[in-house]
Amino acid sequence: MRRVLVTGLGAVSPFGAGVKAFWAGLAAGTCAIRPLTLIAAEGFRCRIAAEVPEIAAGSRRRSRADRLALGAAVEALEDAGLGAGERADAALVVGAVGGGMLEAESWYWARARGQRTPGWAASLRSMLPAATAETLAHRLALGGPRHTVVTACSSGAVALAEAAELIADGVVDCAVAGGVDAVTRLCFMGFNALRLLDPEPCRPFDRERRGMSIGEGAAFVVLEAAEHARARGARVYAELAGHGMTTDAHHVTAPQPDGEGMARAMGAALAAAGLTPNAIGYVNAHGTATPQNDRIEARAITRVFGPGRVLVSSSKSMIGHTMAAAGSLEAVATIQALIHETVPPTANFTTPDPDVDFDCVPRVAREAAMEHAISNSFGFGGQNVTLLFRRV
Amino acid sequence: MSQSQRRAVVITGVGVVNAAVVGASAALEAWLQHPRTGARAPAGRARPVLRLSKEMLGALIDPDEGRRLARVCQLTIAAARLAVAEAGVDPARGLGLVVGSELGDFTSTIAFADGYLARGPAGLSPLLFPSTVMNTMAATTAIAVASRELSLTINVPTIAGELAIARGVAAVASGRVDAVLAGGVDELDPLVAEMLDALGDEGVRGEGATFLVLEAESTARARRATVLGRLAGAAWRSLPARPWGVGRRVASGAIDEVLRRAARPAPGWIYASASGDTPRDAWEARVLSAALGSRRAPAVSLAGLVGQHAGLGALHVAAAAWTARSGVLPAGSGGEPTRVSGCGLVHGLGRGGGQAALVVEAA
Repeated sequence: MRRVLVTGLGAVSPFGAGVKAFWAGLAAGTCAIRPLTLIAAEGFRCRIAAEVPEIAAGSRRRSRADRLALGAAVEALEDAGLGAGERADAALVVGAVGGGMLEAESWYWARARGQRTPGWAASLRSMLPAATAETLAHRLALGGPRHTVVTACSSGAVALAEAAELIADGVVDCAVAGGVDAVTRLCFMGFNALRLLDPEPCRPFDRERRGMSIGEGAAFVVLEAAEHARARGARVYAELAGHGMTTDAHHVTAPQPDGEGMARAMGAALAAAGLTPNAIGYVNAHGTATPQNDRIEARAITRVFGPGRVLVSSSKSMIGHTMAAAGSLEAVATIQALIHETVPPTANFTTPDPDVDFDCVPRVAREAAMEHAISNSFGFGGQNVTLLFRRV
Repeated sequence: MSQSQRRAVVITGVGVVNAAVVGASAALEAWLQHPRTGARAPAGRARPVLRLSKEMLGALIDPDEGRRLARVCQLTIAAARLAVAEAGVDPARGLGLVVGSELGDFTSTIAFADGYLARGPAGLSPLLFPSTVMNTMAATTAIAVASRELSLTINVPTIAGELAIARGVAAVASGRVDAVLAGGVDELDPLVAEMLDALGDEGVRGEGATFLVLEAESTARARRATVLGRLAGAAWRSLPARPWGVGRRVASGAIDEVLRRAARPAPGWIYASASGDTPRDAWEARVLSAALGSRRAPAVSLAGLVGQHAGLGALHVAAAAWTARSGVLPAGSGGEPTRVSGCGLVHGLGRGGGQAALVVEAA
């Protein structure tokens, strides 16, 4: 197996375009969850979300998701400095759920009112999750293996894991991987229907937490075989030293109550990296802020790391749950935490929960020396992924 | 893991559920000897689709699942169970799952949206919402067959089934898991059929699911499993094309890579992804010609018999295993079967430029 290094980072988040803005927002503990503007929220209990303020990349004729992804992927590629020849052979793995559904919903809503908008049928091309990968491959001339993974809320993290396997197995030397999702009516209405949204900005791991907040964004990274990165003198941000992917096989929406599947994913990532739990300094939690998910994730983290030892925080307290982008945005947050030796906080946290047996880094970022950190992502269908990064 | 350290991967179970054939490998083999198309039903305004009857699917599914689960999930579970039962694998020893789908569950997605449009927030169904996410088939199938290792849903136009099998082969070959249930599934909602009509999609569409159990050959031999065929190589790449478009470039990395990996100069025969989508079919023919040149072998596609859906690619792999054993390349739509020898190439080239290639041989 070859070592896999991170040599390029890109993000478009509710803090705006760029990794710099993303990390500045997280490190400052700023909550970007605000009243929803992209879609009508009348009649719903929750009317807030973390929207991306402006998107510079791509034509407005493209779907919002494609534009978010283009912004992040272009930044990552330019950051890594990959040449045209390297791009032509690079793999592309995209985690996606909603695709261009936001735009498709507009014509479907119009259709329900008896209107026929031009180009309605063409929206089929852009609404499927795979559409973004096709756009990125075409625009960025990425010609290696390409696939789109849909594992619900863990899709972005799975994309990184998939790309790492292609490199570790010697199939490619470089890969562009990440996740993207725009706010959509379906997603917003669905989580409202499940009564999983907090009317106020979410409070992960807080005893008074009442549910999640929706967000949107994209993050892409360039992954590279160590020898390839060294040979071209690439700047290295971190090593993706291990990952674990497991399935609960328990319930379509609810996680396994004892957190066994989550713990197995964390254990598999540790085993792949050849590390013991004591080596981990920080856990970027999935931390959705639903009462059930946080309780079960806390149980799984304690099962793996023991009570009280590791620092844990949830980026979703600031950027909401960005769905398929969450795993990749949180991977970038974890890498930044290693680089800056600073753990971003859990914003909005005021009241400790007796079921949460670790330090949630409330409200204010904290300096912490660490060599390894993990990022957890868990999706509908019990799809658990843990990414383990090593400081370089 | 270097290429030389890769483990050999074999097929030990097959499950097929579509309008033309339902069953495990024996049913598929019987059908391949005398292939007939399934019944066509209207979908959308003009499009006929090869659709499995409600009664046939109902016979394959637990009544509770029939009430509770979306139809596309029922198709997935039915085929998955057939494959797992034939393979006789013990999921407790580690079973991964890779589901390819081009369209996902549009029927539930549309029903969910219609609930809101009819009654506002009160019309939203929390039971339908999870089905709007494309991994719903994998989620329900993982529960049905107790698959607790990696679980992936792969979305790509045209070649989702081929790609799912190739990804499953990679997982087993690398040693990350000993067995993977991999395949594809789709159904065709009338609104999607209408959209495809409007887009000028000319292909014969179908629905259904095909799943294969892929195992490390060493594991399969050790437990004395019946081996149906060996996957000597699998690779996927992309060719330049606009989204959902057909490209011009024909240089094929995937075919070169898979033949190199299988250490074969050329295939003896080919299962291709041609489905009646004229520009895409022509592009695939040019790609195959460019890759194989004078080594071009007889080719067939079963799309005309079962219709284009994500199960087709996996069906081609299962059929290729039979061809490798029997030396018979079945007739597609019309024509006569052909006697062939050697290994086979299963190839898929999708709109948007996704490409997958697999080499299948007798084991």
